[in-house]
Amino acid sequence: MKSWIRAGSFVLTALTVAACAGGKDAASDSGAKTAAAPKTAGHYKIAVIAKSSNNPVFLAARTGAEAAAKEISEKNGIQVEVDWLTPPTEDGQVQAQRIQQAVNDGADAILISCSDAGKVTGAINDAVDRGVPVMTFDSDAPQSKRFAYYGVDDVKTGRETMAELVKLLGGKGKVAILAGNQNAPNLQHRVQGAKEEAAKHPGIQILGTFNHVETPQDAAAEVIRVNNAYPDIQGWAMIGGWPLFTQTLLTDIDPKRIKIASVDALPEQLAYVDKGVAPVLLAQSVYLWGSVGVTTIIDKIHFKKEVPQSIPMELVKVTKANLNDWGKQLKAWGFTNVPAAYLK
Amino acid sequence: MRAILRRILGSPEIGLIVVVAIVTIVLTALAGSHVDRRTGEVVNNFLNSNTIIQTLTDSSFFAIMAIGATMVIISGGIDLSVGSIYALSGVTMAMVFRAVGPLSGSATVALGILTCAGVGLLCGLVNGVLVVGLKVHPFIITLGTMWVLRGIAFVATKAESILVPQSLTAWTKASLGLGGGLYPVPMLSMILLTALGAIYLTRTVMGRHIFAFGGNLEASRFAGLSLARIQIGVFAMSGLTAGIAAFLGAGFYGSTSSGDAQGYELYVIASAVVGGASLLGGKGSAVGGMLGALLIVLIRQSIRTLHFDQNYEWIVVGCAIIIAVVVDQWSSKATARRLSLSSSASGASGGPAVPPGLKGPKSEEKQLRS
Repeated sequence: MKSWIRAGSFVLTALTVAACAGGKDAASDSGAKTAAAPKTAGHYKIAVIAKSSNNPVFLAARTGAEAAAKEISEKNGIQVEVDWLTPPTEDGQVQAQRIQQAVNDGADAILISCSDAGKVTGAINDAVDRGVPVMTFDSDAPQSKRFAYYGVDDVKTGRETMAELVKLLGGKGKVAILAGNQNAPNLQHRVQGAKEEAAKHPGIQILGTFNHVETPQDAAAEVIRVNNAYPDIQGWAMIGGWPLFTQTLLTDIDPKRIKIASVDALPEQLAYVDKGVAPVLLAQSVYLWGSVGVTTIIDKIHFKKEVPQSIPMELVKVTKANLNDWGKQLKAWGFTNVPAAYLK
Repeated sequence: MRAILRRILGSPEIGLIVVVAIVTIVLTALAGSHVDRRTGEVVNNFLNSNTIIQTLTDSSFFAIMAIGATMVIISGGIDLSVGSIYALSGVTMAMVFRAVGPLSGSATVALGILTCAGVGLLCGLVNGVLVVGLKVHPFIITLGTMWVLRGIAFVATKAESILVPQSLTAWTKASLGLGGGLYPVPMLSMILLTALGAIYLTRTVMGRHIFAFGGNLEASRFAGLSLARIQIGVFAMSGLTAGIAAFLGAGFYGSTSSGDAQGYELYVIASAVVGGASLLGGKGSAVGGMLGALLIVLIRQSIRTLHFDQNYEWIVVGCAIIIAVVVDQWSSKATARRLSLSSSASGASGGPAVPPGLKGPKSEEKQLRS
């Protein structure tokens, strides 16, 4: 019977810490209130499952989803609630479990960016079979029964990134591709696009494609390692902007010797444009992942509109010329850390 | 009947079962309700068949691995490579399927389980042989194999996520007549393997040898036990259970990749520890490991169900593990002190001051073991 001491302490501590430290999830406060009673007609709960909670782009998507939910609720006299179910780190299996949880918790729809399409396809199909429509954003599960996908064309994104780098280098030079998580299908497609574009330019030689753990520090360390290993490197096509979340490369890269073209343009990364280290950033409007996702879902489940299966997102080219406009746009989307220098 | 009841109530795991039951009751009371989309009925957010089976399914992959990991922990060792064995077993199975082409449903299941279990067993044997042969602490060996095995999976698959045959998914997601999106196969497998693990540990000579090895290494040596065989055996069992979990996981989720089960080794060890296993060895049970996994998943589920901020999940689980073990240790020390005082008061002399296992030449044993 003594085993209850360890198990009981475990449970009591867990619930106490959860209650004290976390409190109610801000995003689901309204959900908590309604949890005691079944939802009424005109009340929609949308579960949002991004790839990981520790990636700022998905926090922007969450802001967008919540803002859209609030706006739609006020405008249409309905109640739209966002239930943030994103795992702490990327894990397709956990995402599949979260889809099941969302359905079991009575979600009306699910919006997901798939870490591993193969892992979540079965869970998406189960959810749809149980009457819960699913939409994907950022990273698709094309073989599933999801009703729509919103995001960039990844092959095209890779092509555009390499094309910008080729322009910066005047059509010739030795370059590398920074590729993030080797298991993510969307990144694999971007790498494919970057390679296809490079193949069109005989003066461009790809030194290698470099994968890394998707944290800013790991990515920056990988760039520095490769720069040291290939002293004649002249450019980086970064199909994700992970290392530009650090300050390291601002000092470790000589912009006269090495040029960077990168996907993503979040507040921390804008200094790289300003200093000329990354003269071109190709921004995904990450806020729109959430807001367009929620709007599209409500169009389908409440307004019963026909929505397209694929909703393309266009990349925004950020250079010194439009840096301040982009900074203001980020601020308007809820980013609180845009440097004042880029808000003039 | 009364004897059986007394035996059940006297079992060390009954406390864990009581705690699981209390958590279930509390969650049910606080969960609220929603309207089921298919039936139109109002159902409890926690106590409904879908959530219960989903919680048990989520815990089944950890729990099955925890059964093997508990055996390693009972022997006084540790296995950090179970997550990597899971990944390697899964991707090997998927690559074998790709190589042999389409098979009948039963042949697919048989080949899948044989491949996963075989790869898991082989990896476990390698761990055991390295620990025994090189006389290096299991922590170091399995830390190394954790990276090596995942690296092999990564190189072999070229980081590709590989789909497994539909017939395998159909088998692991068989509803067995329950219908309504209920898939009990992983849960039933967990229960079956826990029962087998419990029988192995408590009803076989080999199982008792594991306790003897972990409880008192010197005594085991003097008793003439084959220490190398025991140590290799526990790692083989740990690898085997990781392989079986990989088979169920790959089938259930429909694909495998070299990135599968990253960090799961820590959840597995935590499950064993919450389930009552002692990292000093000599203490633990298969049922405890399974219930430990279930408790951890229940806590994760409760964060969801009660709408706590889920970003605090790691803090919650980490704090709970530390506090649980510390409180358990205090309780053990208090018990030891009480026994010591009562034996002094009754004038007994010459006997042990504390129950065996609570104190003793553990640190010395650890050095011998490593």
